[in-house]
Amino acid sequence: MPNLIEVQNLGKSFGDNEVLKNISEEVTKGQVICVIGPSGSGKSTFLRCLNVLEDPTTGKVLFEGSNLTGISENELNNLREKMGMVFQSFNLFPNMNVIENIKLAPLRVKKMSDAAATQQAKELLEKVGLADKAEQYPQSLSGGQQQRVAIARALAMNPEVMLFDEPTSALDPEMVGEVLKVMQDLAESGMTMVVVTHEMGFAKKVADEIWFMAEGTIQEKGTPEKFFTAPKTERAQDFLSKILS
Amino acid sequence: MKKKSLFLFIIVFLLALITPLTHVNAASDNSLQQVKDKGTLVVGTSADYPPYEFTVKKNGKTKYVGLDISLAQKFAKDIGVKLKVKNMNFDSLLVALETHKVDMVIAGMNPTPERQKSVSFSNIYYTGDQYMLINKKDAAQFRKIKDFKGKTIGAQTGSLQYSLVKDQMKGNDVKGLAKLNDLVIALQSQKVNAVAMEEATAKAFASNNHTLKVINPGFDIDESQTGSAIGFSKGADSLVNAANKTIAMVKKDDLINKEYIPTAAKNMTSNSKTNSMANYWTYFVKGIEYTLIITVVSVFFGFMLGTLFAIMRLSRNRLAHALAVAYIEFVRGTPLMVQVMFVYFGIGAIIQSLPALIAGIIAVSLNSAAYVAEVIRSGIESIPAGQTEASRSLGMSQRETYRYIIIPQALKNIWPALGNEFVTLIKESSIVSIIGVTDLMYQMQLVQSATYKGVIPIFIAMVLYFIMTFGLSKVLGYFEGKMKHA
Repeated sequence: MPNLIEVQNLGKSFGDNEVLKNISEEVTKGQVICVIGPSGSGKSTFLRCLNVLEDPTTGKVLFEGSNLTGISENELNNLREKMGMVFQSFNLFPNMNVIENIKLAPLRVKKMSDAAATQQAKELLEKVGLADKAEQYPQSLSGGQQQRVAIARALAMNPEVMLFDEPTSALDPEMVGEVLKVMQDLAESGMTMVVVTHEMGFAKKVADEIWFMAEGTIQEKGTPEKFFTAPKTERAQDFLSKILS
Repeated sequence: MKKKSLFLFIIVFLLALITPLTHVNAASDNSLQQVKDKGTLVVGTSADYPPYEFTVKKNGKTKYVGLDISLAQKFAKDIGVKLKVKNMNFDSLLVALETHKVDMVIAGMNPTPERQKSVSFSNIYYTGDQYMLINKKDAAQFRKIKDFKGKTIGAQTGSLQYSLVKDQMKGNDVKGLAKLNDLVIALQSQKVNAVAMEEATAKAFASNNHTLKVINPGFDIDESQTGSAIGFSKGADSLVNAANKTIAMVKKDDLINKEYIPTAAKNMTSNSKTNSMANYWTYFVKGIEYTLIITVVSVFFGFMLGTLFAIMRLSRNRLAHALAVAYIEFVRGTPLMVQVMFVYFGIGAIIQSLPALIAGIIAVSLNSAAYVAEVIRSGIESIPAGQTEASRSLGMSQRETYRYIIIPQALKNIWPALGNEFVTLIKESSIVSIIGVTDLMYQMQLVQSATYKGVIPIFIAMVLYFIMTFGLSKVLGYFEGKMKHA
């Protein structure tokens, strides 16, 4: 399997605060990775470094072999469209209705025709179960619906990989399921995914690999079975005992 | 940032110092020839000083009249050019002369030694005594200087009377105002107990208002300081000589007493006959027109420039950011009145034909731009970072993000604040009246001068301003409501 993303000696500091320390990892095509760990361990920062929403302080992030920190703004824009991202707070554009949210980037970045973009948006809405909400504005949707629109919006660019930054953390409990279902379908369709999450059930069921992060480094990684039944590090054992009890 | 704005300030300041000097040198002494070449003699005056200079309405138009104006007409005729009168505050006259906004100043001005330092004067053409205007009911109480012990005396700032009161009535408070009309209002409302005034002017006010009376309090006067002379820029000897020739002829025929003063008196009585407000509605209409022109044009340019400065301030380019911050802080840290005067007299010294209206619009636009820039910046900064992140993660560039995501959302937040700025400008623009732009405020002062009524024109102007601002906020509110539903 070819490496889709390759992280080399990645470090990130905010002032004196060292958030990520010398991380080197790989994501291969088709892989579903769940990044878990205690709050403040640097999971979100790590994810945001992957598409350079945060500029790494040291090290490199390679996407399909190109170093994202060493290329021009234009080239970065071109590569970013291949890396869909879903945020904790949805970040839908409130000045546009649902279908406009989805069509915007295909129209403006991919220069798709309006008919093609509309057709595609409708299919994506169908896929996330919101075909009837196309004309509504984000404010009138529930959190779960908004997040599903956000997933459809990211998918509209036909990304090679999807990055999820705690996609269900801001949701009411009864809405978590509908979003996880969409994500699971996506994983089963073969999408490469990096998911920062606290949903252990989802991680167990869907992930190919668990990356356990604490104190700015990836402490251990392994298949869900191994990680959840026999964590190797003390840090992971401690974390699991707290959240499973 | 502090250093940058200081630097900007110093540059502007140096510019202001240098410019008048270069022109003083250039003027040397072909002054008469220059005026002849131009074909017009531009005369600065302060037309609220009857019978020397004041305004009358003829066929709906404002005309400047008075004995000074008659003399200026004679002078212009003698040197074979047309006369153009520029009306401004008495305080601003000498500055206007120095910055070559006007060729000469005739405003019942006394050639005091202080003034002679910066101005070349003609011979004295008329000498009047220094009087006091008082309320008629106080006539028994006030006769001579000593009767005013502990009282407040009003005088026009920058005038001879002001210095007289300062020097010879040391125990008294002096209240200085720029406009005689305002001083007379202050007298009528007991804010001051008397107003020191030149004889002819004081008599004019008293004859048009029967609650007022004139007295001669017996100021100790140096004869050379009481006469009126024409002021020219320093060193303009050929103009001074030409003026002296005219003055000699006028004196020989005693034209001032025989012809100019009687004509002025006739104009004054015709004014007092028609001094009901209804006769002056065209003044107010013109004022509203100019106030709206200044406001609308300034809102437009203020918005354009403000957007530019907001973008500069938000930009990652350090120089652009620093310039924008320096500009915004400097403009917001100085009064609009000072800015208006600086643009008119400062920049006007470089571009001498800069009309007051344009100068006013430039100053108000530049001022507004700083405030608009801050409104726009805060509007843009109020959009959550997540919006930018979502847009960028979809592969959209910074520019596309601004265009499709940030600006449309920011505009909704900015709109009400921009509307407020519009309303504010209607009011703030009244300051341009100090450089003689015929806005509502200025027209109101003209009506005051013409009708000898102080408070009613103020009240009318106030109501008119309110109608404009209230009407505008209603209109803006309507559109704002529409935008919310969109």
